[in-house]
Amino acid sequence: MSNAEGDLYIGIDLGTSRSAIATSNGQRHVVESYVGWPLDMVARKVVKRDVLIGREALDNRMMLDLHRPLERGLLKEGSEKDQAAVRQLMSHLLDLAAVREVRDGGAKVRAVVGVPAEALRVNKEHLREALQGLVDGLIIVSEPFAVAYGLETLLHALVIDVGAGTTDFCMMNGHYPTDEDQRTLPNAGDWVDEQLATLLAERKAEVNVSIHTVRQWKEQWSFVGEAEKPLKVTVPVSGKPTEIDVTDEMRQACEGLIAPVAETMVALIAAAETEYQEKIRQNIILAGGSSAIRGFAQRLEQELAEYGGGRIKVVDDPVFAGCDGGLALATDAPGADWEKLTT
Amino acid sequence: MRQNDRIKRSLVRELVEENIEAIERRPRGSLRRRRRHQRIRWGWWLLSGAAGMAVGALLFFLVLDSGGRLYRQWAGGGQVQTAADDGSVLDTLGEVVLPAGFTRPEPLEPTVIPLAVRHIAIDPGHGGEEEGTITGTGLMEKELTLDIAKRLRRLLLASSFTVTMTRSRDEDVQLKDRARVANAARADLFISIHVNWIPNRQVRGVETYYLGPTNDPHLNELAALENRDSGYSLADYRRLLDSIYADARSAESQRLAGAVQRSLFSSLRRTTPELSNRGVKCAPFVVLVATEMPAILAEVSCLSNEHEARLLASPAYRQQIARALFEGIRNYSAPPETANRGGGKGKES
Repeated sequence: MSNAEGDLYIGIDLGTSRSAIATSNGQRHVVESYVGWPLDMVARKVVKRDVLIGREALDNRMMLDLHRPLERGLLKEGSEKDQAAVRQLMSHLLDLAAVREVRDGGAKVRAVVGVPAEALRVNKEHLREALQGLVDGLIIVSEPFAVAYGLETLLHALVIDVGAGTTDFCMMNGHYPTDEDQRTLPNAGDWVDEQLATLLAERKAEVNVSIHTVRQWKEQWSFVGEAEKPLKVTVPVSGKPTEIDVTDEMRQACEGLIAPVAETMVALIAAAETEYQEKIRQNIILAGGSSAIRGFAQRLEQELAEYGGGRIKVVDDPVFAGCDGGLALATDAPGADWEKLTT
Repeated sequence: MRQNDRIKRSLVRELVEENIEAIERRPRGSLRRRRRHQRIRWGWWLLSGAAGMAVGALLFFLVLDSGGRLYRQWAGGGQVQTAADDGSVLDTLGEVVLPAGFTRPEPLEPTVIPLAVRHIAIDPGHGGEEEGTITGTGLMEKELTLDIAKRLRRLLLASSFTVTMTRSRDEDVQLKDRARVANAARADLFISIHVNWIPNRQVRGVETYYLGPTNDPHLNELAALENRDSGYSLADYRRLLDSIYADARSAESQRLAGAVQRSLFSSLRRTTPELSNRGVKCAPFVVLVATEMPAILAEVSCLSNEHEARLLASPAYRQQIARALFEGIRNYSAPPETANRGGGKGKES
């Protein structure tokens, strides 16, 4: 397990909502996965850029052809613009980590990029095409596997990665996970946003807010179970700032995630060899941005009670857990193997 | 710690292999299998050598000890018979030799006893070098059918069915071998999953087939396409068709096809209101010929249609298709009020 001196190894979590990068020279950056091109000459004059990325793109979205190129954690199919957006996003991440300078200096850049557990081979091919020429070597890995590897949770463990686009499950049995060890659910952070927006439209028809605003509320105040205090937000109603209570809607939207996640978690554990099920139940890792929903891990533990109980640990750093794992894999892959994985 | 390092090395090696296979467009697991075969070959040579030496030594001592008794025992011959539990006798070929006064029982008509459907054989279409239809963006039928089949398997197992897969990975399996797997497992139903390619690329629809003759040139063409590399000679094929068209199994296959088609159409139409119901049809698909149970071939979507192809790229839509197939099987297997609503755990054979 060694790598050539001078070469740069990087782990990337290319997420639906956020993308993060960690490098072997200690750089760590995160950006929101938005890419926008100015709609016209006027917009270009205002934003003073050919392309905007991340929060900046989101804040100027009225003037931009805005793209969130990763849908459910995968590169959207059939749109050249989305392929270009992924490339821009990756270039931006690599620039933040000063990768270009490393390559200009003659060193090689080798990247491990995480994708949803059940991504098809064709999805990975599209990603490989989009990243061609940006790095010297590329390994594509299942995101929850990367999390498990980074945490060195390799045996009798279950990783649940609740992202924005997908919730990914990966059973770690000491061998490389097969399709049977992994699951992907479409119920994740974006799904909660959609539920919350629908509930608000049904119950508070006078409120007209964008999905971006709903997403921000969720990121700040999402919870399941009892609310610590009433959740009140101020929104314009007929142009007038008005305070509304969204406690029940937030709870209901977030709790909708519990049943599918718990059901899949139990099904995967039940499919494991009987003698290891207890160990696995005590060794469940919750990762991904949506693992920050307050009370979520405890509710999943409650769901395990009737199966003999279990312990769910939330990763310390949900934003970087995936790319840290990717970085660990990149540095551990033998140099000779990297030669076969050129882009 | 040392164990952890060993596991890590093995995980990294397998991850790298998976990526190399993807780059070189090899079937998944092919590099691992090649490595295992090399190990097995080495092991076999070593074992053969050791076994040869051991047999040589044993023969040497036997000849010295018994002075020819061994030869006489070999030359004696004679038929070996084994008593079975019921008093009948099995001859060397495994045929039952009935005691005097007993007659061979006649098989029962299938309709006499309502038989429960417990065991489903799932056949993901194509595989290995047989990629099936493929879109310009590289979405392959063989990959989609396997993914949907695995999702269907999970749903069936969760509802206490037993499941046999004709293939569980990206590999070539001849059509006649697919039927052989299902027959050997004594499956109650055979479900072959395919994704359609229709020359008129505006068409988006689902259709389900059971075995039978057809005069429709399009269906004959489709069957010819799916029947490539069947592994049957023309004579075999004609003989099998003659025996099957008149079979009572045909009626059950038609009923199963109807249940699955209804479920597919009603479920998928919710996502795609433009979906057309292309109906239940009969066509001479080889994969359905040699099965000994009601068998259907479902064309669950049209990869030739751009919108359908985009939908198929989403795990949620593939799950919806698997769920629709599952509901169709369940509706066929039992009336809705008695249908198995899950709770138990199935098994794989």
